Amino acid sequence: MNFKTKISSLLPPLLPLILGMALAEITVRSGWVPSYLIPAPSEVIRSLIDDRVELAVAAWTTLSSALAGLLLSFTTGTLFAIALSASDLARRAFYPYAVFFQTVPIISIAPLLVIWFGFGQPTVIASAAIVSVFPIIASTLLGLKSTEPALIDLFTLYSASARQMLYMLKIPFALPQIFSGLRIASGLAVVGAIVGEFIGGGGLGSVVDSARTQQRIDRVFAAVLISALLGAVLVGAVNLISALTLGSWHISERKAS
Amino acid sequence: MKIILGFVLILLSTVAAWGAQATQLQFALNWKAEPEFGGFYTAKLSGSFQKRNLDVEITEGGAGTPVVQMVANSKVRFGIAAADEVVISQARGADVVALFAVYQINPQGIMVHPERGFKSLGDVFNSPGTLAIQSGSPHALFLQKQFPGYKVTFVPYAGGIATFLTDPNFSQQCFVTSEPLIARRKGKPAQSFLIADAGFNPYGTVVIARRQYVAKNQKQTRDLINTVREGWIEYLRAPEPANNTMVKLNRAMDAVSMKEAAEVQKSFILGAGAPAQELGKMTMERWGTLVNQLYDLKLIKTKPVADKLFQNF
Repeated sequence: MNFKTKISSLLPPLLPLILGMALAEITVRSGWVPSYLIPAPSEVIRSLIDDRVELAVAAWTTLSSALAGLLLSFTTGTLFAIALSASDLARRAFYPYAVFFQTVPIISIAPLLVIWFGFGQPTVIASAAIVSVFPIIASTLLGLKSTEPALIDLFTLYSASARQMLYMLKIPFALPQIFSGLRIASGLAVVGAIVGEFIGGGGLGSVVDSARTQQRIDRVFAAVLISALLGAVLVGAVNLISALTLGSWHISERKAS
Repeated sequence: MKIILGFVLILLSTVAAWGAQATQLQFALNWKAEPEFGGFYTAKLSGSFQKRNLDVEITEGGAGTPVVQMVANSKVRFGIAAADEVVISQARGADVVALFAVYQINPQGIMVHPERGFKSLGDVFNSPGTLAIQSGSPHALFLQKQFPGYKVTFVPYAGGIATFLTDPNFSQQCFVTSEPLIARRKGKPAQSFLIADAGFNPYGTVVIARRQYVAKNQKQTRDLINTVREGWIEYLRAPEPANNTMVKLNRAMDAVSMKEAAEVQKSFILGAGAPAQELGKMTMERWGTLVNQLYDLKLIKTKPVADKLFQNF
């Protein structure tokens, strides 16, 4: 890809951003919208520069909690999905509870997490894990139940054990769906971590809480911008792992020649 | 002729009824219905607002309800805020002004378990343990500055007293007129220290409105504030009717706690014992002190002029 092609591919997503920021700057500077309701983009950028140390430390705390929460939800969610895929009875008995778990509003149970896990990172990790576990369960289960019947017949014909069937056929076949669930879960883990930080303390959630109290909406927007970037970084990392794992054999990651 | 006369009469009565229609006003609280708002509910229940042609709707708030921004943006005409919020919002360009202060002495305090044996706020800050306090709030920053080298660990304040009831090393911010009473009712005695005693004493539970709106509607604002004042005088005398209404709105506080709170808060409302007609009035000196304190805490970059922050009625 040459320089000209690179620019032309970046222009479509960049143009609305630049126009939107310019419009917001003009709207606030001209006094049409007061700066205590929406900050001018220049104020947000100034806050990003002035508060860079505090924001960087907070971002790292949030990222590490979100990652730990994601790891926890990935491990438990995958194991749970494997268990459900092994038995129709187990699926009928437990899957409705997984759906129910997804509908629990995290903000309403977050204060309880503090009572159960205490203040600090354990509560934040638990919040991130709770919010991100369902897409992993749902996608992994779908993937495990979508194995080609012909391939299952082939493995059965060769007298493969249940374990061999799982490791050598079902899981590799389910990988695209597992990565798909992981992509959704990685963004949600950041959201869950920030909600957990509102109650458990630390990280970007704490920065947002404090800035809101001080009516510093420029800092609130700066922290929100960074949290969105964290989500994007995690999704990007999952995309990279997906490409490395599936690139050589699966159509979803194979580049068009 | 009779038909024309009848038509004119109907027209006149319609115009008269139109003219007598009460002005609808939304009054936004920043917390649930509690005795700190008792006077407002008394004014509403007694029909005093209606007598002055005001149809006031009181709406409850919760943690993080942005009442100042709602008032500044004309989403509601009147609201409740802390005095420090008024200063900070004016310094950031919002056009809000304080009109009536419920508490002459701010009831914000720190509530601790008595068995820890603390004798002062200094003991709370200089001992290990957990303190739930609103992060970044002026009172938190003031106390952190007041007690440098503190040993206590700060955690977010989420409202309620659930953690206080279960953790013996847990302290939290409170209104000394509210949470300690609820804790005691739930079988956990609580000791509280007033932040005002440490030197940070902004007016508490302040009625605010847009300055521009107040300037254009002086009579209406005066009527509203006078009604509020009468409501508070009546609530101080007989809190039961308002408490009976508030206890239905806020299930977290029972009738006995409401009664106790109404009694305890009297001295905070009356302050140095000003006469009834002075209830809720504010002084330039107090606002000036608050401006200087917030400036020293680096919460504002410019100092708003003290006499532009409030208007007494």
